[in-house]
Amino acid sequence: MTWFKKRPFLWFILPGFILYSLFSVYPIFSAFQISLNQWDGIGVKTFVGLDNYVELFGNDELFAQLTGAFRHSVILFLLNALAVLPAQLYMAYLLYSGIRGHRFFQAMIFSPQFIATPVIVFMGTLIFDGNIGVFNKLLEAVGLGEWTRPWMGVPEFGIFIVWIMVAWSGIGVGMIFFLGAMKMISSEVMEAALLEGASYWRRFFSIVLPQIKTTVLNMLILTYIFAMTMFDYSFILGGVSGGINRSVDVMALFFYRIAFGDNSAVGGTMNVNAMGMGTTIACVMFAVIFIVAIIQVVITYRRTED
Amino acid sequence: MNLRPKRTYASSAILWLYSSFTLFVLVYMTYQAFRSKKELLSNTFGWPDVFNFANFKKLFVDANFLRYLFNSTWILVAVLAIIILLSSMVAYGIGRFQFRFKSTVLLYFLIGLMFPVQLGIVPIFLLIRDMGLLNSQWGVIVVLASGLSMPVFLLTTFFEKLPKDLYESAKIDGAGEWTTFIRVMFPLASPVIFSICIIMSVQIWNQFFVPLIMLQSEANKTIPLMIMKFTNNLMYNIDLAMVGSVMATVPILILFFLFSGRVLEGVASGGIKG
Repeated sequence: MTWFKKRPFLWFILPGFILYSLFSVYPIFSAFQISLNQWDGIGVKTFVGLDNYVELFGNDELFAQLTGAFRHSVILFLLNALAVLPAQLYMAYLLYSGIRGHRFFQAMIFSPQFIATPVIVFMGTLIFDGNIGVFNKLLEAVGLGEWTRPWMGVPEFGIFIVWIMVAWSGIGVGMIFFLGAMKMISSEVMEAALLEGASYWRRFFSIVLPQIKTTVLNMLILTYIFAMTMFDYSFILGGVSGGINRSVDVMALFFYRIAFGDNSAVGGTMNVNAMGMGTTIACVMFAVIFIVAIIQVVITYRRTED
Repeated sequence: MNLRPKRTYASSAILWLYSSFTLFVLVYMTYQAFRSKKELLSNTFGWPDVFNFANFKKLFVDANFLRYLFNSTWILVAVLAIIILLSSMVAYGIGRFQFRFKSTVLLYFLIGLMFPVQLGIVPIFLLIRDMGLLNSQWGVIVVLASGLSMPVFLLTTFFEKLPKDLYESAKIDGAGEWTTFIRVMFPLASPVIFSICIIMSVQIWNQFFVPLIMLQSEANKTIPLMIMKFTNNLMYNIDLAMVGSVMATVPILILFFLFSGRVLEGVASGGIKG
């Protein structure tokens, strides 16, 4: 007891430590351990070493699903990084410079963040649906009737429709983070630049952007993690199977399908090995995130060293 | 200091267009919620014949909306309470005291930022099942409440920045560690706690993945799962999908618009910096 008395901080840290360890940290290690077994979650666990990994990359059907899902996740990340992120910076800078109506704009742009994903997908249906969609109606109204499509149902558009909804819902968060970072820039620096006569965009590229570089890098890694683990949009839009021809399939949905969902797609060993193969995919996702996160940490660390 | 660009017409136009699109979607959905199912499907763009509260009545009476609302609210309140309590304790422990492995402990709490719940869900599922909490809201609550990384990070930064004199003067007054924590430190941290509440509330309220896996019986499900049940069969349930979406969205957005200044400040200060 005296050992504890000398270390009062332990009493503060322990409860949170236990809960966090049990449900946030232990599962990651446990997942790796389970991935070395053939297991359906109920019956006997059979240790099979790295066989699950060999099967994941060797079985044609599984590997096709894996690469398809991974490709979509990468597309999502690239679209977010190359289109959404610059848009967030642009809008944050406009708000930062106090454009007229900025309070209204920032509330409006942020507001979809408060809408649950099923509602956002439903709103997507209201707009892009072939029969009841507003978008087709609009095309007809402006005389582009031959361009109408059942947008939600065309496999080629699948992942882009997902992206549009993701972007609409999430664009405000990054914008507000960037805006917060911009407001931290010392006003002396900005005033000096103003006196020097630096133009609006000149100030953005030479002062604002370098000052908030760390926030941009952090946002980039968050975008990446999001794209690799995004689940709900694809699931709601395409169901367990990931839509027609798996056109909206992503990594997390592939993982869910193997671990909790599908009974038909692959057959054979899959059902008796749902937990084993499921965790194997989770570990691959883990690795895919971890490698990039390490690179990010190294880059940020180097920068602060300079 | 005037930072405005000289010509703002193009930029303003873009922002106006974008904002009015969002507004349009919300207003359009609310408008459609007052129309009958038959009209929605066969005469989507025509003038309404029927315009009444029948769908709302159906949602509250037949579809048991209050049940889902209660479930979502209960999960939100319980998770927030646990997260605020535990994370402020952890952060106070790390920020206030000097001990070996201090930075290691903080780092340990931060690695959770990198790994969303999706990755560990199989072991979490098995754990919850073995604890007999499957299909219980407590299963969802403990899993969501274990996401302590972000709150611990924000609060630790806050407690570390507090001047040491503050701890000392509280001590001289004869207060024990716990009294100091509850009476002095916790109230001091309330702005940080406010922004944590905002950020976490959005995440918990709209949480889809964990309830989907943990909750099976209809009586325990949350609002997002209810809406998905309706949207899964739009031909049959489009009226409920419409009115359910409105009820799940519009009240919260009105609250947000009323307090948007404070809320957005809270979100901005929660951005993970440096």
